[in-house]
Amino acid sequence: MALYNFKKIMVVPTAKDFIDITLSKTQRKTPTVIHKHYQIHRIRHFYMRKVKFTQQNYHDRLSQILTDFPKLDDVHPFYADLMNVLYDKDHFKLALGQINIAKNLIDNVAKDYVRLMKYGDSLYRCKQLKRAALGRMCTILKRQKQSLEYLEQVRQHLSRLPTIDPNTRTLLLCGYPNVGKSSFINKVTRADVEVQPYAFTTKSLFVGHMDYKYLRWQVVDTPGILDHPLEERNTIEMQAITALAHLRAAVLYVMDVSEQCGHALSQQLELFNNIRPLFANKPLIVMANKCDVRKISELSEENQACDRLLAHRVDTKMKTKKVHDVLNRLHLAVPTKRDQKERPPFIPEGALLRRKAVEMDAPKRKLERDLEVELGDDYTLNLQKYWDLMNPEEKQDKIPEVWEGHNIADYIDPEIMKRLEDLEREEELREKAGEYDSEEESEDEEMQEIRQLASQIREKRKLKILTSKEKDTQGPRMPRTAKKVERATLEKEMADLGLDMTDKDDSHYALRSRSLVRKRKREVSVPPMSRTRSQSTSRPPRDQSGVRDAKMLKKVKTMMKSSQKEMNRQGKKGESDRHVFDVKPKHLLAGKRKSGSTSRR
Amino acid sequence: MRIEKCYFCSAPVYPGHGMKFVRNDCKVFGFCRSKCHKNFKKKRNPRKTRWTKAFRKSVGKELTLDYSLEFEKRRNIPVKYNRELWSKTVEAMKKVESIKNKRQARFILNRLKKGKELEKAADITEVKKNIHLIRAPHAGHAKQLEDKMVQKLAEDVEMDE
Repeated sequence: MALYNFKKIMVVPTAKDFIDITLSKTQRKTPTVIHKHYQIHRIRHFYMRKVKFTQQNYHDRLSQILTDFPKLDDVHPFYADLMNVLYDKDHFKLALGQINIAKNLIDNVAKDYVRLMKYGDSLYRCKQLKRAALGRMCTILKRQKQSLEYLEQVRQHLSRLPTIDPNTRTLLLCGYPNVGKSSFINKVTRADVEVQPYAFTTKSLFVGHMDYKYLRWQVVDTPGILDHPLEERNTIEMQAITALAHLRAAVLYVMDVSEQCGHALSQQLELFNNIRPLFANKPLIVMANKCDVRKISELSEENQACDRLLAHRVDTKMKTKKVHDVLNRLHLAVPTKRDQKERPPFIPEGALLRRKAVEMDAPKRKLERDLEVELGDDYTLNLQKYWDLMNPEEKQDKIPEVWEGHNIADYIDPEIMKRLEDLEREEELREKAGEYDSEEESEDEEMQEIRQLASQIREKRKLKILTSKEKDTQGPRMPRTAKKVERATLEKEMADLGLDMTDKDDSHYALRSRSLVRKRKREVSVPPMSRTRSQSTSRPPRDQSGVRDAKMLKKVKTMMKSSQKEMNRQGKKGESDRHVFDVKPKHLLAGKRKSGSTSRR
Repeated sequence: MRIEKCYFCSAPVYPGHGMKFVRNDCKVFGFCRSKCHKNFKKKRNPRKTRWTKAFRKSVGKELTLDYSLEFEKRRNIPVKYNRELWSKTVEAMKKVESIKNKRQARFILNRLKKGKELEKAADITEVKKNIHLIRAPHAGHAKQLEDKMVQKLAEDVEMDE
């Protein structure tokens, strides 16, 4: 039932503590760094998170309080009544109601401010909203100070209540104050209730436990009840009344025969009659206590209204039973005989034989150790002889495990031959289909030639790249025309390219050798026929050297002119002229920007 | 005695070689050499590391689905030794191996055929574009012309006759 939960109720903090805890938690568990220049959605999210976090915390804790405290309608009526007696049902319900309202208010506040935060357009505004939200939530909680304090006290008291199970076997002791109820419970159970000569020593219910007939019994001690009507009863007495009213127990009405409690027997009888309606449906025993002080027999015959069961007799009876407890628990069950047949216990033959063998101490089979001792140095441990194979003669086989990098164990399969056959069949089919034919297309000669040429081209290109890489690009550069092209190299190169260079003595590049040959004759010097001849004929004029024909000459001239066009237009002296006359022209860089775009200056 | 497979590169790990790593969830990883071990510690995915067998299979460079590959399978239930079965298995194993190798080689060959076509086409374009590096455009033209002229002369002479 709800018994156990009374100790597990969460601590209810005071209002101030509650606020402090939650706010510091918000401080610690949410991010703290935010700057003005962050994007607005990020700022909003940051502050919204704080508001929501605070709201969540409050909500969680308040909900936990609400669920932890027992609902008076849900618990056993005994507890409901007890709590009513002790803490006032109305006040209790009101306090919890206030807490609930506070929780809802906090939720609403958070919701409103989160909604407002969506329209916050600066860090300052969002921060103010967050401050306002948290402030309002904390104020709501400050107003619950009284409820929280009250609930904390209730919680502390509740956790100290004795755990009375309203459903098990219970004995309830009641009677006038100081009649000996607590002494009785001390004697009978392990409880240690305070016993003092003054009345109302016991101020609340106490529980003790005892064993009787192998069962646990609860014994409930109540504070004494005085004889006045219900409305005038105080809290302490009301507890006793509640217990009487709701617990289904055997009631022990204790009477003080010696009148040491301060009340006459008639008064006690009066009380008994008054609370008789509470004893409906409950087994009742009237206990006459303190008989040692005044014997029953000394009672005047006028007081024969009480029954004659003596509590002490009951007491002693129970005590003796405790001694034989352990022995009584052991019991050998023997089945009752249903017919005259003898049924002795059954022992299997093997067991009997073994028992005999143990007695005889005969040697069993030959051990390995014996074998070892016998063979001495020749002994080798051969466990393979114990193997359980289908053909025992294979026991001493050396089992192959690995072949060419493959584990034989991976191929072991009872159906391997069948599968191998399938595979081989498949392979045959494939071979027939021609999958394994070596497809060497006899390439036609053309293709072969092309391949050869391509490889030559690639080789030539690589060589060219290499030679160009070997050039010294950092050092002094001479123009190409400074070096004379040797006739032999020219003719060799062209021959490599396939041209016929055999009969080239009168070509334009072989002039010198020709002239050289001529000059050796030393004849009468022939007067120069043209101006060109008087010049060294070995060197043709620049605009004619390297030029094959008129067409080429024309092309060369146009190329020359077109390369100079741009330079002439810009008024440059040549291709190396990089002089800038006006690095920062004023008309471009000075002045304000008026109309127009600012994409360039 | 078992030849394990390296977890990373799928190479055979002979006894006495490589390393084994046991993880907290009781999975055992065997490696053939420290290269694979180091790659594993770097949390590299063997299916993405190009030199491993796992990559090659996952990307289709090697034969994956074939009947001959189904013969070698790690079996968890040991079979009792039986001389006849073992000897048959060894013979079968040899045959299966040869067939498997043949098929794998054929697979790779087929895959590389495409390359050969591309090579051919590349050669043709190369020759077309860059023939000038090894042969002058009018190489042999002079000779041709000469021959033609000689032929023509000969014809003329014949005609005259």
